Amino acid sequence: MGLQGDFYQLLKEQGYVLGSSGQAGTGQELTTATTILAFKYCDGVLVAGDRRATAGNMVMYDRTDKVLEIDRYSVMAIAGVPATAYEMARILEHSFKYYRRTQLQELSFEGKLRALSKLLKENVAAALAGTGAVVPIFAGYDTGQEAAKIYFYDILGAEFEGVEYAVSGSGSSTIRGILHYLNTWGGQPLSAMPEEQATIQALRLLTSAAEFDSATGGVNREAGLYPIIKFITGSGVRMMPDLQLRALFESRVSRSA
Amino acid sequence: MYEEPYRWVEAVGNRRQYLDDQLKEGTPVVGVAYERGILLMTMSKGTLKLYEIYDRLALGGMGHPADLEKLRFNLLEMAHIEGFNRSVSDVTGSRLVKYGITPVIKQAFEEVFKAPFIVKILLAELGQKAEKDGFLTINYDGTFEEKDRYAVLAATSAVEEKMMGYLRQQSIVSLKEAVDVAVRTWAVGDRAQRSALEDGQGHDEARTVPDQQVIDAEALYTHLRRCIAEKTIECALLDRHVQGPSKYRALEADELRTMLPTDLSPSLA
Repeated sequence: MGLQGDFYQLLKEQGYVLGSSGQAGTGQELTTATTILAFKYCDGVLVAGDRRATAGNMVMYDRTDKVLEIDRYSVMAIAGVPATAYEMARILEHSFKYYRRTQLQELSFEGKLRALSKLLKENVAAALAGTGAVVPIFAGYDTGQEAAKIYFYDILGAEFEGVEYAVSGSGSSTIRGILHYLNTWGGQPLSAMPEEQATIQALRLLTSAAEFDSATGGVNREAGLYPIIKFITGSGVRMMPDLQLRALFESRVSRSA
Repeated sequence: MYEEPYRWVEAVGNRRQYLDDQLKEGTPVVGVAYERGILLMTMSKGTLKLYEIYDRLALGGMGHPADLEKLRFNLLEMAHIEGFNRSVSDVTGSRLVKYGITPVIKQAFEEVFKAPFIVKILLAELGQKAEKDGFLTINYDGTFEEKDRYAVLAATSAVEEKMMGYLRQQSIVSLKEAVDVAVRTWAVGDRAQRSALEDGQGHDEARTVPDQQVIDAEALYTHLRRCIAEKTIECALLDRHVQGPSKYRALEADELRTMLPTDLSPSLA
């Protein structure tokens, strides 16, 4: 099957199974304790995520990177069960590389979206059993069409295009309304914002999410912890360094200044 | 008819002759290390000869394109499965070669009722540090050799030695120097192969042709100019300074143009 350049198929032929099938429909509550967001700005797309990982009421970890670089032009932001999400990211990363190297051309953006959709579909049983639900955002730069794109998914693998923005995770309901308001009456649409302006908004949005959602970690200045913010443009994926985030946070976000 | 040991040895000997004959018009491949990584260079006509295998592995090959494709896929599958199941840093050229494809190549070579692989392979590996950069060359019978600063593929071992001898006298630091040395070395090999063909000489007899002690660079460029009329220069890099985990990149015609003597470059387009 190598001729098709399908790495996931190859893995399955080797006996690989994604996630545990579990018992479907045990009725556990599906929690996605996190906040991730993506929106288009003037140069491309910005993807941001808080850094908290929780287990019930407990904060497990405060330095999680939920905005995962899959290849030079695409990023997957994850909400849901991290074990499954990281595994999916690893499969995607290898799938895209494998495709490029075997077929001697990049997988199209649509092809990348379908690859993630397929993984989510195969994971439905684990998602419903409460052990593997993942609700990601996939954002990137479509080099073929020279356009930034954002897609979000439900746990069953359906993909939806976020024309202007997309949000996911437990804190998303808080900021969805803000994004709508900002984009419609905020003076300028999100897609016209320059990078710095977009970063400030992303920091404010995540801070707001943390205000109302205990599972979303905001900015922890004492520990020097800032959200992960990545930009995807025609020249690839770039991460905003903490130092710059800090300066912007202190001058434009923090109210104690 | 091959049950007797003697017949089998004879059959394998015939096979060598057959393979040498198949490869005699193949295009040489040159690999050299330079300050930022590794350069692979060859000339191709239509089908590519240089490929990305994994984050830090690149392949150059000569021989039958279908056989090369098959082995390339073998390498790609092994590398990606290993990289996924273990980690990216566990994918090493030497494991892929020693436990992966050379047993397959050797078996095909010795099973005299089946078709052997008509290929020679050069695998380049970018180490974590510059001193770990290296090459592996694989012959059609499954034998392989490890090299460190440079490596070549050519039709016969005599031609390969000649090219290695030429490389030994060169010093390479920058990419520009690497490209220049690589194309000249390629010309050394191609010229030797062609003269062996024209003389209608046997395979290892090229060795007996008196070596010009100093090979004139101008003569090599002249040879290249003639080749370039029908072939294009193909270059690929494993560049330590490329951002992200995948270090492979093809050297685009525009970039290559700036690195070659001007009268070689126009025919690149």
